[in-house]
Amino acid sequence: MLRVDNITVCYGRMEALRNVSLEVAPGEMAALIGGNGAGKTTLLNAISGLVPATGGAISWEGKALKGFAPDRICREGIVQVPEGRKLFPAMTVEENLVMGAYLPTVRKGSREALAHVYEIFPRLADRRRQLAGSLSGGEQQMAALGRALMARPRLLMLDEPSLGLSPKAAAEIFAIVRQLNQEGMSVLLVSQEVLETLAITVRGYVLENGAVAMEGPSAALREDPQVKASYLGL
Amino acid sequence: MDAVLVIQSLISGIMIGMVYALLSVGFSLTWGVMHVIHISHAAFGLLGAYLAYSLLTIYGIDPVVSAAASAPLLFILACGVYRLLIKPVTKAKEVIVASMILTFGLAIILENIMALIWKADPRIMTPAYASGALILGPFYFQHPHLVGFALSIAGIAAVYFFLKKTYTGMAVRAAWQQPEAAQLYGVNLYRISMITFALAVSTAGAGGISLALLNSFEPHSHNLWLIYLFLVVIVGGVGDIVGTALAGLIIGTITGLSMAFLPFQWVNLVTFGFLMVFLIFRPHGLFKQGA
Ligand SMILES: Nc1ncnc2c1ncn2[C@@H]1O[C@H](COP(=O)(O)OP(=O)(O)OP(=O)(O)O)[C@@H](O)[C@H]1O
Ligand SMILES: [Mg+2]
Repeated sequence: MLRVDNITVCYGRMEALRNVSLEVAPGEMAALIGGNGAGKTTLLNAISGLVPATGGAISWEGKALKGFAPDRICREGIVQVPEGRKLFPAMTVEENLVMGAYLPTVRKGSREALAHVYEIFPRLADRRRQLAGSLSGGEQQMAALGRALMARPRLLMLDEPSLGLSPKAAAEIFAIVRQLNQEGMSVLLVSQEVLETLAITVRGYVLENGAVAMEGPSAALREDPQVKASYLGL
Repeated sequence: MDAVLVIQSLISGIMIGMVYALLSVGFSLTWGVMHVIHISHAAFGLLGAYLAYSLLTIYGIDPVVSAAASAPLLFILACGVYRLLIKPVTKAKEVIVASMILTFGLAIILENIMALIWKADPRIMTPAYASGALILGPFYFQHPHLVGFALSIAGIAAVYFFLKKTYTGMAVRAAWQQPEAAQLYGVNLYRISMITFALAVSTAGAGGISLALLNSFEPHSHNLWLIYLFLVVIVGGVGDIVGTALAGLIIGTITGLSMAFLPFQWVNLVTFGFLMVFLIFRPHGLFKQGA
């Protein structure tokens, strides 16, 4: 169980997150939605240890995580697929995947993990020697997700995985994430595809101006008039 | 023109070019990965050459052996330099400028230390095989040159293998291309930067020894070497190993040929003229890696 308790994050003097709390239960798929600049990416980066959180606490299976470096967070099985994919452009697809299993704790079984990723994404297997920078947007997202899977996540955090993808490619990615969740992986999904996201998640959080504005079962959020007006254009 | 002379100077150029390449790979890596322009890189190379020189003259140890021995020594020394001097600077806003100024000072300090220990006289490396030569028909290759050439090939191959085939080497490349994602998958940037810097310095040592097998050297030689470092890295593309090796060969060939056929004053004119023309057409280096 991931528990974010009242954290605040500042960039210089600007408060990007203010007293934010959030939970992801084991095996749960939770949604994090909100407009541009609401602080979604900042929250994921704070959990990943890329940006420091002031105040509050972050815990994972009862262990306090706040202040840990990103490599330490990754070792705990909390793995992020960053916004914009952030592949290593001048490395091949396979090298990108192998880098996902960089930590000694997951390096041992990386051969099997690689085979598994190629099974999920046969397209990546065909392109294993191609430079990641030359992949199409959809393929890049597959590679980014594949790289994260190489780290054997127990909590997978995805930051706008469908951004810039065709509806078909986006649906494919969502289907795979759903499948992973059904196999037991906890998921925290950040997405602008609000309708879609609330349909496949159990619970959701709405972030506005750096604070949690609403939270609850995804089905209820979908029917909420405010959510409808702000995020669904209804 | 005499065909034999052309070929002979072409081959000499290739040899010295390979040595430039070995001296440059580390310079290119620290620049590319850490955004540190390490001005004292060549001075560390020269230090490697002097250490090998002393080991040879005092204990009769072959320069190739001392290249192997000085590599870990320089590695450890460079780790210390990184912690003490470089790391604080990498937090500065203008890393490139700050690192240049800092390591410029370090180069001067190293030069003076070398002048104190080894005096200002030019030195030449004279291993047991110094007077031997390989004669192939009309061509003539001094043994020390061949050894320096072989050493530089081995050094570059080792760096290439490290970057391509080891997890740490891959992490170096990953940290350079996408530091944030590298961290997300467990790369500790601080550790990788230290390793990159230290590895670069130890290859500089091997490069310095190679160069000392081809040319004479004195405490301020690193200044001239540094100019060649810049040349090679700018032509080869920052952080690009294969590009660096090729650029070394190109520049070596140009200087080799112009040294054979042009008056001495023209050599640098031709070399730097080439650089300017090159920069106009390929501002990002041989293989375009802009952005
Ligand atoms: N590195 C940074 N330095 C300064 N301010 C930043 C930085 N990163 C984000 N911010 C600011 O923090 C706020 C939250 O940004 P964040 O990227 O977390 O939003 P987001 O919800 O992910 O938005 P989007 O949907 O556009 O990705 C924004 O106002 C942004 O300008
Ligand atoms: Mg974002």
